[in-house]
Amino acid sequence: MFVQSLHLTQFRNYLDQSITFEQPKLILVGDNAQGKSNFLEALQLLATGRSQRANRDRELIQQGSDQGRVLAQVERREGRVELELILRATGHRTARLNGVTQPRIGNLLGQLNTVFFSSWDLDLVRGNPQQRRSWLDGILVQLEPIYAQLSDQYQQVLHQRNSLLKQIPPVPDHELALWDEQLARHGTRVIRRRRRLLTRLAPLATHWQSVISGGNETLQLSYQSRIPDQGDDPLQIEQQFREQLAQKQAAERYQGLSLVGPHRDEVEFILGETPARLYGSQGQQRTLVLALKLAELELLEQVNQQPPLLLLDDVLAELDLKRQNQLLGTIGERVQTFVTTTHLGSFERGWLKSAQVYQVNAGSLQEVS
Amino acid sequence: MYTRPLARLIDQLQRLPGIGPKTAQRLAFYLLKRPKQETLQLAQSLIDATEQIGVCRQCFTLSAEDPCDICSNPNRELSQVCVVAEPRDVIAMERTREYKGRYHVLGGLLSPMEGIGPEQLKVKELVQRVNRDEVGEVIMAINPSVEGETTILYVGKLLKPFTKVTRLASGLPMGGDLEYADEMTLARALEDRRELI
Ligand SMILES: Nc1ncnc2c1ncn2[C@@H]1O[C@H](COP(=O)(O)OP(=O)(O)OP(=O)(O)O)[C@@H](O)[C@H]1O
Ligand SMILES: [Mg+2]
Ligand SMILES: [Zn+2]
Repeated sequence: MFVQSLHLTQFRNYLDQSITFEQPKLILVGDNAQGKSNFLEALQLLATGRSQRANRDRELIQQGSDQGRVLAQVERREGRVELELILRATGHRTARLNGVTQPRIGNLLGQLNTVFFSSWDLDLVRGNPQQRRSWLDGILVQLEPIYAQLSDQYQQVLHQRNSLLKQIPPVPDHELALWDEQLARHGTRVIRRRRRLLTRLAPLATHWQSVISGGNETLQLSYQSRIPDQGDDPLQIEQQFREQLAQKQAAERYQGLSLVGPHRDEVEFILGETPARLYGSQGQQRTLVLALKLAELELLEQVNQQPPLLLLDDVLAELDLKRQNQLLGTIGERVQTFVTTTHLGSFERGWLKSAQVYQVNAGSLQEVS
Repeated sequence: MYTRPLARLIDQLQRLPGIGPKTAQRLAFYLLKRPKQETLQLAQSLIDATEQIGVCRQCFTLSAEDPCDICSNPNRELSQVCVVAEPRDVIAMERTREYKGRYHVLGGLLSPMEGIGPEQLKVKELVQRVNRDEVGEVIMAINPSVEGETTILYVGKLLKPFTKVTRLASGLPMGGDLEYADEMTLARALEDRRELI
């Protein structure tokens, strides 16, 4: 797929910025805090409905305004679509597809796919579990848009159950049981999809890992959960979920917190026999992250039968020349790629080929010729 | 800034849902500009509504009569009860003109975050009613939100030993409000309701 144009209105530090893309690559160069990441964030928002950095829409809307907008024309294999998302300070959103207001925001998802790779992701392997969970979730909402709803519903059940656990005097068992059942039911939907995703990513990631490292260690992506993995049968998973809840009930009541479920789950990357988080060198961990991102790209491409966009935020300069070239060779001119950097000199000249280069300055873009 | 009664009026209006300070001010000035008679009529209907409308002690909907029109209508099936969250959902169901049974208003949905547990809902009363009136079917017409689903689960379990419990077929927007579902959707959901397992 190819984004033909992007129009930002009162979004972050962009007041009214429109840009047309003519080349497979766009390079945004500029000093710190000028709006490079903000630009990529807008694309990520259209693809996933969320931003990695913002907790509330208010942060995305230009200070002093009560509404902001992101609009993109996307050329897909199936034809052209116009995606429009209106954000309001109240948190209320409006989504339009080809100018038609959608009854659900979720209808926007699945139209634009992105792989977001930022310097922050370099910590994916050893960073906190939350980071790995949101990595999985960001891919899942693009593969099956209904996942956004399923995961929101799970969060809602979780909040409700947590406030029940905090109640004084303690809530009677039969009332807690009601929310246990809901947690297990909604949690199972999330767990199954995350496991399924890891199963599909694993062979792709293993392949890229060996291409990049030149080695042949096997890579396993293992979903770590209190709920044992014994197949994909939802009823069985729910059953095991409830068993774990029963086991942990005393602790949960004591802490006033739900301790079992996908919000506590984790991904472990195992290289050969050893967990990469503990034993991988920094270089190995970076190779691994690159392999994971390439696997993500390949999976989205397979499923949608067209390549997603690749958003490289401040990360290129962090990769050595060999890895930069591997990445460049893989995406070629097939994958529309957006790169941000503070210095053009920090990466291979090859990246400047078939690229539009823009200077970003305090929320305005200026083409560099 | 405002003369005292005006300030009080604006303050009161501002407490209404969806009304900010600007709108409150506009409404207040508008009310005072209208013929005095009309504004007094509005005030009187507020007083009447507040004083005369209470709760039907059978179905717990808002009503000036007790029992309400529906509960006292002999043509409405006694053996079929439609369970809804709020009085406004009764109106939504009535608009379909498809439903010939009675209602039971729970007065909310289970939501620990808002401090709403089974005690806060008219659930005990529902169980009593089902037994007393030998109700043959209870239809749960409740939004399929997380709180709605949990409430359906709860009420369904309680009533299972006594009667058949069905729920509206989904087709209702997920997390959507009954109130906003159009009549056609609701009528179809009523026809396609299925038994709770
Ligand atoms: N809601 C907002 N309204 C106005 N300006 C904002 C808003 N949110 C962020 N900004 C501004 O955007 C700038 C940060 O933009 P961004 O994160 O894109 O920087 P960057 O160019 O990627 O910098 P770096 O090279 O440090 O990563 C800051 O100047 C910040 O004040
Ligand atoms: Mg940045
Ligand atoms: Zn009544």
